[in-house]
Amino acid sequence: MKILLILLLILQINSLKADEIFNLVKIPNLEVYKLNNLNGLKYLNAKKDFKIGIKNNIRCNKSNKQNLDNKFSLISKNLARYDADFLNRINLRFIVLCENLYVSEINTGGIPDHAKRTLILDLNFNEKYFERVMHHEIFHIIHNGFKVLFDEEIWSDLNDKTFKYAECSTCSNRLGLDLYLETNGFLTEYSKSIASEDMAEVYSFLMTDKINIENMANKDSILFNKVEYIKTRIDKILNF
Amino acid sequence: MKKKLKASFSEKILFIFLISLGIFSFSFFFIVKNKCFFVENIDPNKIQFSNPQNIVVMNVECGNVIIELLPDLSPNAVKRFKYLVKKGSYNHSAFYRVVKDTFIQAGDLEYGNIDNINYYKVGSGKSGLGTIKSELSKNFLFEEGSVALAREDEFNTEDSEFFITLKKIPLYIGEYTPVGKVIYGLDALKKIKTGTKVEYVLRPDFINYIKLLN
Repeated sequence: MKILLILLLILQINSLKADEIFNLVKIPNLEVYKLNNLNGLKYLNAKKDFKIGIKNNIRCNKSNKQNLDNKFSLISKNLARYDADFLNRINLRFIVLCENLYVSEINTGGIPDHAKRTLILDLNFNEKYFERVMHHEIFHIIHNGFKVLFDEEIWSDLNDKTFKYAECSTCSNRLGLDLYLETNGFLTEYSKSIASEDMAEVYSFLMTDKINIENMANKDSILFNKVEYIKTRIDKILNF
Repeated sequence: MKKKLKASFSEKILFIFLISLGIFSFSFFFIVKNKCFFVENIDPNKIQFSNPQNIVVMNVECGNVIIELLPDLSPNAVKRFKYLVKKGSYNHSAFYRVVKDTFIQAGDLEYGNIDNINYYKVGSGKSGLGTIKSELSKNFLFEEGSVALAREDEFNTEDSEFFITLKKIPLYIGEYTPVGKVIYGLDALKKIKTGTKVEYVLRPDFINYIKLLN
Protein backbone atom coordinates (compact mmCIF):
# COMPACT_ATOMS: atom_id res chain seq x y z
CA MET A 1 0.00 0.00 0.00
CA LYS A 2 2.84 2.35 0.95
CA ILE A 3 4.62 1.59 -2.31
CA LEU A 4 1.43 2.34 -4.21
CA LEU A 5 1.09 5.68 -2.41
CA ILE A 6 4.71 6.56 -3.17
CA LEU A 7 4.17 5.66 -6.81
CA LEU A 8 1.05 7.83 -6.95
CA LEU A 9 3.00 10.68 -5.34
CA ILE A 10 5.78 10.35 -7.91
CA LEU A 11 3.21 10.35 -10.71
CA GLN A 12 1.63 13.44 -9.19
CA ILE A 13 5.00 15.23 -9.02
CA ASN A 14 5.77 14.26 -12.58
CA SER A 15 2.37 15.32 -13.84
CA LEU A 16 3.70 18.78 -14.66
CA LYS A 17 3.05 18.74 -18.36
CA ALA A 18 4.24 21.40 -20.69
CA ASP A 19 1.45 22.45 -23.01
CA GLU A 20 0.52 25.46 -25.09
CA ILE A 21 -0.89 27.35 -22.09
CA PHE A 22 2.10 26.60 -19.89
CA ASN A 23 4.29 27.83 -22.71
CA LEU A 24 2.55 31.18 -22.53
CA VAL A 25 1.80 31.86 -18.85
CA LYS A 26 4.13 29.35 -17.14
CA ILE A 27 1.34 27.92 -15.01
CA PRO A 28 0.68 24.19 -15.43
CA ASN A 29 -2.63 22.31 -15.53
CA LEU A 30 -4.74 25.07 -17.05
CA GLU A 31 -7.39 24.96 -19.74
CA VAL A 32 -9.14 27.66 -21.70
CA TYR A 33 -12.40 28.81 -20.12
CA LYS A 34 -13.36 31.80 -22.29
CA LEU A 35 -11.31 33.58 -24.92
CA ASN A 36 -13.40 35.92 -26.98
CA ASN A 37 -14.10 38.83 -24.70
CA LEU A 38 -14.60 42.40 -25.85
CA ASN A 39 -11.73 43.76 -23.79
CA GLY A 40 -9.35 41.01 -24.91
CA LEU A 41 -9.08 39.29 -21.53
CA LYS A 42 -8.50 35.54 -21.78
CA TYR A 43 -9.96 33.42 -19.00
CA LEU A 44 -8.21 30.18 -18.05
CA ASN A 45 -9.18 27.75 -15.34
CA ALA A 46 -7.32 25.12 -13.37
CA LYS A 47 -8.21 21.64 -14.58
CA LYS A 48 -5.89 20.18 -11.93
CA ASP A 49 -4.21 21.54 -8.80
CA PHE A 50 -1.04 23.50 -9.47
CA LYS A 51 1.99 24.80 -7.64
CA ILE A 52 4.22 27.57 -8.92
CA GLY A 53 6.71 30.12 -7.68
CA ILE A 54 9.93 29.94 -5.72
CA LYS A 55 9.98 26.59 -3.93
CA ASN A 56 6.39 26.08 -5.15
CA ASN A 57 5.21 28.58 -2.53
CA ILE A 58 2.08 29.41 -4.53
CA ARG A 59 -0.57 26.72 -4.79
CA CYS A 60 -4.13 26.54 -5.94
CA ASN A 61 -6.69 23.78 -6.45
CA LYS A 62 -8.57 22.86 -9.57
CA SER A 63 -11.80 24.73 -10.07
CA ASN A 64 -15.14 23.05 -9.63
CA LYS A 65 -17.12 23.51 -12.85
CA GLN A 66 -20.34 24.54 -11.12
CA ASN A 67 -18.57 26.95 -8.79
CA LEU A 68 -16.71 28.42 -11.76
CA ASP A 69 -19.85 28.87 -13.82
CA ASN A 70 -21.63 30.47 -10.87
CA LYS A 71 -18.85 32.96 -10.09
CA PHE A 72 -17.89 33.75 -13.66
CA SER A 73 -20.69 36.23 -14.33
CA LEU A 74 -19.60 38.32 -11.34
CA ILE A 75 -15.95 38.14 -12.37
CA SER A 76 -16.55 39.02 -16.02
CA LYS A 77 -18.98 41.81 -15.08
CA ASN A 78 -16.32 43.47 -12.92
CA LEU A 79 -13.44 42.95 -15.32
CA ALA A 80 -15.53 44.10 -18.29
CA ARG A 81 -15.33 47.57 -16.75
CA TYR A 82 -11.75 47.77 -18.02
CA ASP A 83 -11.48 48.38 -21.75
CA ALA A 84 -8.90 46.75 -24.03
CA ASP A 85 -6.80 49.88 -24.30
CA PHE A 86 -6.48 50.30 -20.54
CA LEU A 87 -5.71 46.60 -20.06
CA ASN A 88 -2.97 46.83 -22.68
CA ARG A 89 -1.47 49.82 -20.91
CA ILE A 90 -1.43 48.12 -17.55
CA ASN A 91 -0.25 44.82 -19.07
CA LEU A 92 -3.07 42.46 -18.13
CA ARG A 93 -4.31 39.74 -20.48
CA PHE A 94 -4.85 36.41 -18.65
CA ILE A 95 -7.18 35.66 -15.76
CA VAL A 96 -6.53 32.31 -14.10
CA LEU A 97 -9.42 30.94 -12.06
CA CYS A 98 -8.81 28.32 -9.38
CA GLU A 99 -9.85 27.49 -5.82
CA ASN A 100 -8.11 27.96 -2.45
CA LEU A 101 -5.20 30.10 -3.51
CA TYR A 102 -2.30 30.18 -1.06
CA VAL A 103 1.00 32.05 -0.99
CA SER A 104 3.41 30.66 1.57
CA GLU A 105 0.45 29.04 3.34
CA ILE A 106 -1.46 32.34 3.56
CA ASN A 107 -4.83 32.33 1.81
CA THR A 108 -5.17 35.20 -0.65
CA GLY A 109 -7.88 36.42 -2.99
CA GLY A 110 -5.61 37.00 -5.93
CA ILE A 111 -2.03 37.08 -7.15
CA PRO A 112 -1.02 39.53 -9.86
CA ASP A 113 1.92 38.86 -12.17
CA HIS A 114 2.65 41.98 -14.15
CA ALA A 115 5.47 40.42 -16.18
CA LYS A 116 3.34 37.53 -17.36
CA ARG A 117 0.25 39.74 -17.75
CA THR A 118 -1.63 37.37 -15.49
CA LEU A 119 -3.96 37.64 -12.52
CA ILE A 120 -4.78 34.49 -10.54
CA LEU A 121 -8.10 34.65 -8.70
CA ASP A 122 -9.38 32.40 -5.92
CA LEU A 123 -12.98 31.45 -6.66
CA ASN A 124 -13.48 30.47 -3.03
CA PHE A 125 -12.28 33.70 -1.50
CA ASN A 126 -14.68 35.27 1.02
CA GLU A 127 -17.73 36.34 -1.00
CA LYS A 128 -18.12 39.48 1.06
CA TYR A 129 -14.86 40.85 -0.32
CA PHE A 130 -14.50 38.92 -3.56
CA GLU A 131 -15.66 41.66 -5.93
CA ARG A 132 -13.46 44.30 -4.34
CA VAL A 133 -10.45 41.97 -4.17
CA MET A 134 -10.44 41.70 -7.96
CA HIS A 135 -9.97 45.48 -8.30
CA HIS A 136 -7.49 45.48 -5.43
CA GLU A 137 -5.30 42.98 -7.26
CA ILE A 138 -5.68 44.85 -10.53
CA PHE A 139 -4.32 47.90 -8.76
CA HIS A 140 -1.19 45.91 -7.92
CA ILE A 141 -0.76 45.21 -11.63
CA ILE A 142 -1.23 48.91 -12.37
CA HIS A 143 1.23 49.81 -9.62
CA ASN A 144 3.85 47.37 -10.93
CA GLY A 145 3.68 48.99 -14.33
CA PHE A 146 3.68 52.57 -13.05
CA LYS A 147 5.93 52.57 -9.98
CA VAL A 148 7.04 56.15 -10.52
CA LEU A 149 3.49 57.40 -10.91
CA PHE A 150 2.34 55.73 -7.70
CA ASP A 151 5.23 56.74 -5.48
CA GLU A 152 5.11 54.99 -2.10
CA GLU A 153 7.12 57.67 -0.31
CA ILE A 154 4.86 60.47 -1.47
CA TRP A 155 1.88 58.34 -0.51
CA SER A 156 3.30 57.62 2.95
CA ASP A 157 3.78 61.36 3.48
CA LEU A 158 0.03 61.83 3.07
CA ASN A 159 -0.43 60.09 6.44
CA ASP A 160 -0.17 61.56 9.89
CA LYS A 161 3.51 62.08 10.75
CA THR A 162 3.31 59.63 13.66
CA PHE A 163 2.02 56.74 11.53
CA LYS A 164 4.31 54.02 10.22
CA TYR A 165 3.45 51.16 7.87
CA ALA A 166 4.66 47.62 8.61
CA GLU A 167 7.73 46.15 6.91
CA CYS A 168 5.62 43.97 4.62
CA SER A 169 1.95 43.21 3.99
CA THR A 170 2.06 39.96 5.95
CA CYS A 171 4.48 41.18 8.64
CA SER A 172 1.68 42.68 10.69
CA ASN A 173 -1.64 41.45 11.99
CA ARG A 174 -3.39 44.32 10.23
CA LEU A 175 -5.44 42.07 7.97
CA GLY A 176 -9.07 43.20 8.36
CA LEU A 177 -10.84 44.04 5.12
CA ASP A 178 -14.01 45.63 6.55
CA LEU A 179 -14.59 49.30 5.87
CA TYR A 180 -13.96 51.47 8.93
CA LEU A 181 -16.79 53.64 10.14
CA GLU A 182 -14.22 56.15 11.41
CA THR A 183 -11.57 56.29 8.73
CA ASN A 184 -8.77 58.49 10.14
CA GLY A 185 -6.94 58.29 6.84
CA PHE A 186 -7.43 54.57 6.30
CA LEU A 187 -10.34 52.64 4.84
CA THR A 188 -9.57 49.25 6.39
CA GLU A 189 -7.20 47.66 8.85
CA TYR A 190 -5.33 46.13 5.90
CA SER A 191 -4.77 49.64 4.54
CA LYS A 192 -2.39 50.15 7.45
CA SER A 193 -0.13 47.26 6.44
CA ILE A 194 2.02 48.83 3.70
CA ALA A 195 1.71 51.79 1.33
CA SER A 196 0.95 49.75 -1.80
CA GLU A 197 -1.83 47.83 -0.01
CA ASP A 198 -3.23 51.12 1.24
CA MET A 199 -3.29 52.43 -2.34
CA ALA A 200 -4.90 49.20 -3.56
CA GLU A 201 -7.59 49.45 -0.86
CA VAL A 202 -8.44 53.04 -1.84
CA TYR A 203 -8.53 52.07 -5.51
CA SER A 204 -10.69 48.99 -4.94
CA PHE A 205 -13.22 50.92 -2.85
CA LEU A 206 -13.36 53.63 -5.52
CA MET A 207 -14.17 50.90 -8.05
CA THR A 208 -16.87 49.26 -5.94
CA ASP A 209 -18.29 51.92 -3.60
CA LYS A 210 -17.27 55.24 -5.14
CA ILE A 211 -19.96 57.60 -3.87
CA ASN A 212 -19.74 56.36 -0.30
CA ILE A 213 -15.95 56.62 -0.29
CA GLU A 214 -16.03 60.14 -1.74
CA ASN A 215 -18.49 61.13 0.96
CA MET A 216 -16.23 59.68 3.63
CA ALA A 217 -13.22 61.42 2.07
CA ASN A 218 -15.00 64.78 2.31
CA LYS A 219 -14.91 64.40 6.10
CA ASP A 220 -11.32 63.09 6.29
CA SER A 221 -8.58 65.27 4.80
CA ILE A 222 -5.95 62.50 4.69
CA LEU A 223 -8.34 60.15 2.95
CA PHE A 224 -9.39 62.96 0.63
CA ASN A 225 -5.78 63.46 -0.48
CA LYS A 226 -5.35 59.73 -0.97
CA VAL A 227 -8.50 59.47 -3.08
CA GLU A 228 -7.37 62.42 -5.21
CA TYR A 229 -3.90 60.91 -5.53
CA ILE A 230 -5.30 57.68 -6.95
CA LYS A 231 -7.87 59.38 -9.18
CA THR A 232 -5.44 61.82 -10.81
CA ARG A 233 -2.90 59.12 -11.53
CA ILE A 234 -5.42 56.70 -12.95
CA ASP A 235 -6.58 59.55 -15.20
CA LYS A 236 -2.98 59.99 -16.33
CA ILE A 237 -2.86 56.34 -17.39
CA LEU A 238 -6.21 56.64 -19.13
CA ASN A 239 -5.04 59.72 -21.03
CA PHE A 240 -1.48 58.50 -21.56
CA MET B 1 11.42 -49.08 -43.97
CA LYS B 2 10.61 -45.50 -43.34
CA LYS B 3 7.05 -44.52 -43.03
CA LYS B 4 6.26 -41.25 -44.78
CA LEU B 5 4.42 -38.92 -42.43
CA LYS B 6 1.77 -36.72 -43.92
CA ALA B 7 0.76 -33.49 -42.29
CA SER B 8 -2.87 -33.31 -41.36
CA PHE B 9 -5.05 -30.46 -42.58
CA SER B 10 -5.00 -28.67 -39.21
CA GLU B 11 -1.19 -28.97 -39.07
CA LYS B 12 -0.94 -27.37 -42.51
CA ILE B 13 -3.17 -24.50 -41.36
CA LEU B 14 -1.02 -24.04 -38.22
CA PHE B 15 2.15 -24.05 -40.33
CA ILE B 16 0.76 -21.41 -42.71
CA PHE B 17 -0.36 -19.32 -39.72
CA LEU B 18 3.10 -19.46 -38.13
CA ILE B 19 4.81 -18.52 -41.39
CA SER B 20 2.39 -15.59 -41.88
CA LEU B 21 2.93 -14.47 -38.28
CA GLY B 22 6.70 -14.54 -38.83
CA ILE B 23 6.48 -12.47 -42.01
CA PHE B 24 4.10 -10.02 -40.33
CA SER B 25 6.29 -9.64 -37.23
CA PHE B 26 9.41 -9.19 -39.33
CA SER B 27 7.89 -6.47 -41.54
CA PHE B 28 6.09 -4.83 -38.59
CA PHE B 29 9.40 -4.54 -36.72
CA PHE B 30 10.98 -2.62 -39.59
CA ILE B 31 7.92 -0.47 -40.25
CA VAL B 32 7.59 0.52 -36.59
CA LYS B 33 11.30 1.16 -36.29
CA ASN B 34 11.14 3.53 -39.21
CA LYS B 35 9.01 6.36 -37.83
CA CYS B 36 8.96 8.03 -41.23
CA PHE B 37 7.53 5.01 -43.04
CA PHE B 38 4.08 6.46 -43.58
CA VAL B 39 5.26 10.05 -44.17
CA GLU B 40 5.18 11.24 -47.74
CA ASN B 41 8.31 13.15 -48.66
CA ILE B 42 7.41 16.32 -50.52
CA ASP B 43 9.48 17.32 -53.52
CA PRO B 44 9.24 21.13 -53.82
CA ASN B 45 10.46 20.99 -57.41
CA LYS B 46 7.27 19.21 -58.42
CA ILE B 47 5.04 21.94 -57.02
CA GLN B 48 4.11 25.19 -58.72
CA PHE B 49 4.16 28.07 -56.24
CA SER B 50 2.47 31.38 -56.94
CA ASN B 51 5.00 33.25 -54.80
CA PRO B 52 8.23 31.20 -54.88
CA GLN B 53 10.25 34.05 -53.36
CA ASN B 54 8.41 33.47 -50.08
CA ILE B 55 8.73 29.71 -49.99
CA VAL B 56 11.08 28.03 -47.55
CA VAL B 57 12.01 24.35 -47.55
CA MET B 58 12.87 22.86 -44.18
CA ASN B 59 14.33 19.37 -44.27
CA VAL B 60 13.85 17.19 -41.19
CA GLU B 61 14.35 13.50 -40.52
CA CYS B 62 11.06 12.47 -42.14
CA GLY B 63 11.31 14.70 -45.19
CA ASN B 64 10.62 18.17 -46.45
CA VAL B 65 8.36 20.75 -44.88
CA ILE B 66 7.26 23.60 -47.15
CA ILE B 67 6.60 26.92 -45.44
CA GLU B 68 5.01 29.93 -47.07
CA LEU B 69 6.24 33.16 -45.49
CA LEU B 70 3.86 36.06 -44.90
CA PRO B 71 5.82 39.29 -45.30
CA ASP B 72 2.67 41.38 -45.67
CA LEU B 73 1.62 40.38 -42.18
CA SER B 74 4.96 40.74 -40.39
CA PRO B 75 7.62 42.27 -42.63
CA ASN B 76 10.38 42.58 -40.03
CA ALA B 77 9.93 39.08 -38.66
CA VAL B 78 9.98 37.57 -42.16
CA LYS B 79 13.03 39.67 -43.05
CA ARG B 80 14.86 38.33 -39.97
CA PHE B 81 13.75 34.75 -40.67
CA LYS B 82 14.82 34.93 -44.32
CA TYR B 83 18.18 36.41 -43.35
CA LEU B 84 18.91 33.55 -40.96
CA VAL B 85 17.73 30.98 -43.49
CA LYS B 86 19.98 32.43 -46.22
CA LYS B 87 22.90 32.46 -43.79
CA GLY B 88 22.31 28.80 -42.93
CA SER B 89 21.98 29.64 -39.24
CA TYR B 90 19.06 27.30 -38.68
CA ASN B 91 20.81 24.26 -40.15
CA HIS B 92 21.29 21.59 -37.45
CA SER B 93 19.19 23.56 -34.97
CA ALA B 94 17.48 21.40 -32.31
CA PHE B 95 13.74 20.97 -31.86
CA TYR B 96 14.37 21.40 -28.17
CA ARG B 97 10.84 22.17 -27.06
CA VAL B 98 8.28 19.79 -28.48
CA VAL B 99 4.85 19.12 -27.02
CA LYS B 100 3.16 16.16 -28.67
CA ASP B 101 0.51 17.14 -31.20
CA THR B 102 0.73 20.73 -29.95
CA PHE B 103 3.83 22.57 -31.13
CA ILE B 104 7.51 22.23 -31.94
CA GLN B 105 10.13 24.89 -31.27
CA ALA B 106 13.62 25.39 -32.64
CA GLY B 107 16.02 28.16 -33.58
CA ASP B 108 18.18 28.72 -30.51
CA LEU B 109 21.34 29.53 -32.43
CA GLU B 110 23.54 29.83 -29.37
CA TYR B 111 22.66 26.85 -27.17
CA GLY B 112 20.54 24.62 -29.40
CA ASN B 113 22.78 23.46 -32.21
CA ILE B 114 23.78 19.86 -32.92
CA ASP B 115 27.42 20.71 -32.22
CA ASN B 116 26.71 22.59 -29.02
CA ILE B 117 23.52 21.79 -27.18
CA ASN B 118 23.39 23.16 -23.67
CA TYR B 119 20.41 21.71 -21.78
CA TYR B 120 20.74 24.26 -18.98
CA LYS B 121 20.59 27.23 -21.30
CA VAL B 122 18.72 26.06 -24.37
CA GLY B 123 15.90 28.47 -25.11
CA SER B 124 17.81 31.49 -23.87
CA GLY B 125 20.32 31.81 -26.69
CA LYS B 126 20.69 34.83 -28.90
CA SER B 127 21.38 35.27 -32.59
CA GLY B 128 23.65 38.24 -32.06
CA LEU B 129 21.40 40.36 -34.26
CA GLY B 130 19.40 41.83 -31.41
CA THR B 131 15.69 41.59 -30.79
CA ILE B 132 12.95 42.83 -33.08
CA LYS B 133 9.57 44.36 -32.33
CA SER B 134 6.54 42.12 -32.10
CA GLU B 135 4.24 42.26 -35.11
CA LEU B 136 0.97 40.95 -33.75
CA SER B 137 -2.13 40.26 -35.76
CA LYS B 138 -5.67 39.45 -34.71
CA ASN B 139 -6.27 38.03 -38.18
CA PHE B 140 -3.65 35.30 -37.99
CA LEU B 141 -5.61 32.45 -36.46
CA PHE B 142 -2.91 30.03 -35.31
CA GLU B 143 -4.31 27.04 -37.10
CA GLU B 144 -2.44 23.76 -37.53
CA GLY B 145 0.90 24.50 -39.21
CA SER B 146 1.22 28.14 -38.17
CA VAL B 147 4.81 29.37 -37.94
CA ALA B 148 5.61 32.18 -35.51
CA LEU B 149 8.55 33.71 -33.73
CA ALA B 150 8.97 32.75 -30.08
CA ARG B 151 9.73 35.45 -27.52
CA GLU B 152 10.49 35.97 -23.84
CA ASP B 153 7.70 36.91 -21.42
CA GLU B 154 7.69 40.46 -22.75
CA PHE B 155 6.76 41.56 -26.25
CA ASN B 156 9.40 42.99 -28.59
CA THR B 157 11.90 40.32 -27.59
CA GLU B 158 11.68 38.18 -30.75
CA ASP B 159 15.03 37.06 -32.12
CA SER B 160 15.69 33.79 -33.97
CA GLU B 161 13.61 31.15 -32.22
CA PHE B 162 10.44 30.02 -33.91
CA PHE B 163 7.70 27.49 -33.32
CA ILE B 164 5.19 25.66 -35.47
CA THR B 165 1.77 24.71 -34.16
CA LEU B 166 0.56 21.16 -34.72
CA LYS B 167 -3.01 22.00 -33.81
CA LYS B 168 -5.31 25.02 -33.69
CA ILE B 169 -4.35 27.24 -30.71
CA PRO B 170 -6.71 30.24 -30.55
CA LEU B 171 -5.09 31.33 -27.28
CA TYR B 172 -2.04 32.42 -29.29
CA ILE B 173 -3.93 34.89 -31.47
CA GLY B 174 -2.42 38.30 -30.88
CA GLU B 175 0.27 36.84 -28.63
CA TYR B 176 3.01 35.83 -31.06
CA THR B 177 4.45 37.28 -34.24
CA PRO B 178 3.44 35.17 -37.25
CA VAL B 179 6.07 34.31 -39.84
CA GLY B 180 4.24 31.95 -42.15
CA LYS B 181 2.35 28.72 -42.48
CA VAL B 182 3.22 25.15 -43.40
CA ILE B 183 1.61 24.35 -46.74
CA TYR B 184 3.07 20.85 -47.21
CA GLY B 185 4.79 18.32 -44.99
CA LEU B 186 3.09 18.74 -41.64
CA ASP B 187 3.20 14.96 -41.15
CA ALA B 188 7.00 15.11 -41.08
CA LEU B 189 6.82 17.59 -38.20
CA LYS B 190 4.43 15.39 -36.27
CA LYS B 191 7.13 12.71 -36.15
CA ILE B 192 9.64 14.94 -34.37
CA LYS B 193 10.73 13.60 -31.00
CA THR B 194 8.56 14.89 -28.18
CA GLY B 195 9.14 15.63 -24.53
CA THR B 196 6.04 16.70 -22.66
CA LYS B 197 7.24 16.55 -19.09
CA VAL B 198 10.00 19.12 -19.20
CA GLU B 199 10.90 22.37 -20.86
CA TYR B 200 13.30 20.72 -23.29
CA VAL B 201 13.69 17.42 -25.13
CA LEU B 202 16.66 15.25 -24.21
CA ARG B 203 18.60 14.14 -27.29
CA PRO B 204 16.29 16.07 -29.59
CA ASP B 205 15.71 15.84 -33.32
CA PHE B 206 17.38 18.47 -35.48
CA ILE B 207 16.64 20.47 -38.59
CA ASN B 208 18.85 19.08 -41.34
CA TYR B 209 18.69 22.32 -43.29
CA ILE B 210 16.41 25.19 -44.19
CA LYS B 211 16.73 26.97 -47.50
CA LEU B 212 14.80 29.41 -49.60
CA LEU B 213 13.24 27.85 -52.66
CA ASN B 214 14.72 30.56 -54.86
